[in-house]
Amino acid sequence: MSTIKEYMTQDHGRCDELFATMEEKATKSLESAKEACQEFVSETERHFQMEERIMFLEFETKTGMTQGPTAMMRHEHVQMRSLMKQMLEAIDAGNKDKFFGLSETLMILIQQHNMKEEQMLYTMVQQHLSADSDRIVSMMESMIVE
Amino acid sequence: MDFNGLSIDQAPPISAPLRFFLTAPLFAIFAGFLIFFSDASALMSRYSLESIVVTHAITIGFFGFIMLGALTQMLPVLAGAKIPKVKFATTYSHLLLSFGALFMFLGLLQNNALFTSIAFVALGSGFMMILIPIALAIKGVSNFTATVKSMANSIAFAFLIVFMGLFLLYSYISGNMSELHATIANIHSVLAIFGFAGILIIGVSFQVLPMFYVAPKFKNFCKRRVIWLIPAGLLLWSALNIFDETYALLAKFWITLFFWAFATTVWKKLSARRRPISDVTVWYWRSASIFLTLGAFLWIFDEYFKHEYIVMVAILIGGGFIMSIMTGMLYKIVPFLVWFHLNAMGYMSIPTMNEMINKKLAALQFILFIASLIGFVFAFYMPLLLEISAVCFILSMAILEYNIISVALVYMKTKKTKPEFDMSAFK
Repeated sequence: MSTIKEYMTQDHGRCDELFATMEEKATKSLESAKEACQEFVSETERHFQMEERIMFLEFETKTGMTQGPTAMMRHEHVQMRSLMKQMLEAIDAGNKDKFFGLSETLMILIQQHNMKEEQMLYTMVQQHLSADSDRIVSMMESMIVE
Repeated sequence: MDFNGLSIDQAPPISAPLRFFLTAPLFAIFAGFLIFFSDASALMSRYSLESIVVTHAITIGFFGFIMLGALTQMLPVLAGAKIPKVKFATTYSHLLLSFGALFMFLGLLQNNALFTSIAFVALGSGFMMILIPIALAIKGVSNFTATVKSMANSIAFAFLIVFMGLFLLYSYISGNMSELHATIANIHSVLAIFGFAGILIIGVSFQVLPMFYVAPKFKNFCKRRVIWLIPAGLLLWSALNIFDETYALLAKFWITLFFWAFATTVWKKLSARRRPISDVTVWYWRSASIFLTLGAFLWIFDEYFKHEYIVMVAILIGGGFIMSIMTGMLYKIVPFLVWFHLNAMGYMSIPTMNEMINKKLAALQFILFIASLIGFVFAFYMPLLLEISAVCFILSMAILEYNIISVALVYMKTKKTKPEFDMSAFK
């Protein structure tokens, strides 16, 4: 089984792929991108919940750090959720300019968020929770999105 | 492990990078006026005082300021490194460097040793005040990615060129030119362009091209090797220049080869990008790639023509490659910074990045800039072109300044009017 770090890093790549597909479709027409956008949003939401409901909790319990990096990552999730919601609204309103403005901002936010997680947080999580790695990965895999 | 980069409270305040970004185009405008009022023949020689002042208005004032501003911003995000005393370092180094540069220009142009001495102290202390904290921050990075390595290399070259620059400046104060003056000046300029700026641009592009344009990632081979192959070439070239000039051309081929490869790679990555949008920043990457290719070949070609074309090489590589990329990146970094800081304060209903910049004005700025570069190159054959190109350049930099200020104003206005917090995102 892959480590927490590997599993979550791969999941970032998968979401990036969905994002690119969504943008490609949106260039042709916003209407055709709606489904891809919904898929991207729900998969990203799934990723956020795997972190917030499982990984971050385990990390916080183990280290006692509740106001540290996980709080910052949660805050950035809120920012990204807000952008994704606005993107879906832009599709419904047929506003292409707005959509691409939001998607560009989201892309940069996601990438620098991912960088921080992959280079720092996941490494730290892996160090603290290496003994529980398999259990945590299988919990995240079988999680049902709320 | 250091988590400081993960916290907005400890990320540098927006004023740290912005003060550098907002000043940079002003120096470029100054350089434009100087070109306008200079004699074409004086600018044809790289060692005339006019040329030295114009060059440093661009290299210290524009390149240096943008790179230092960007480093203070990027280090926490890309490397999780915290720059010690960032607010103090950026505020005072910005002041010292701004005044130091102006005193250097006045001192050189008016042959005033007092002004040049003030410049010597201000530039020396200004650069140390910002380079040392950046170097310390890099030293503390635990995850040494290719981009962080390129930053470390770039900063090492920055220290070298600052010391060389101070040595050269001192000879204008003392009035004693050492025998090695021209050799050191030549090494100083090449290390500044390819070492400090070039390596940093390459390292940052590993992250930025996939991030901004969803372009394919760079191969690990490129990332790992290029970061030391280029510095090795530069050091070899410098040593050969001092000890055995006959073989320096070989090292020059080495350096040129990698930069040309980089130009081609950028072009190919952009063509294969997944994000279909083409905006002014993409045009800037494209133009940088073309100008770098032309400049690199001309730099080699110039060897066989007694360095007659060296000023043209400087225009193509300094203006066409480095300035293009930095201008393009300003159009991305400044709106993102404003968006990011406002959003972190809780303002959710703010313009998106691409709504903050007037696209038509940005396009006009790009066209004027490229026209001025082409004009400067052909001014070699038609000196009449020099003035009109200088006007295009001044206009383009004034529009650039306006475009960035208007983004900074979005930040100021939002903070001042304090629109109701949009809590919908939390529901």
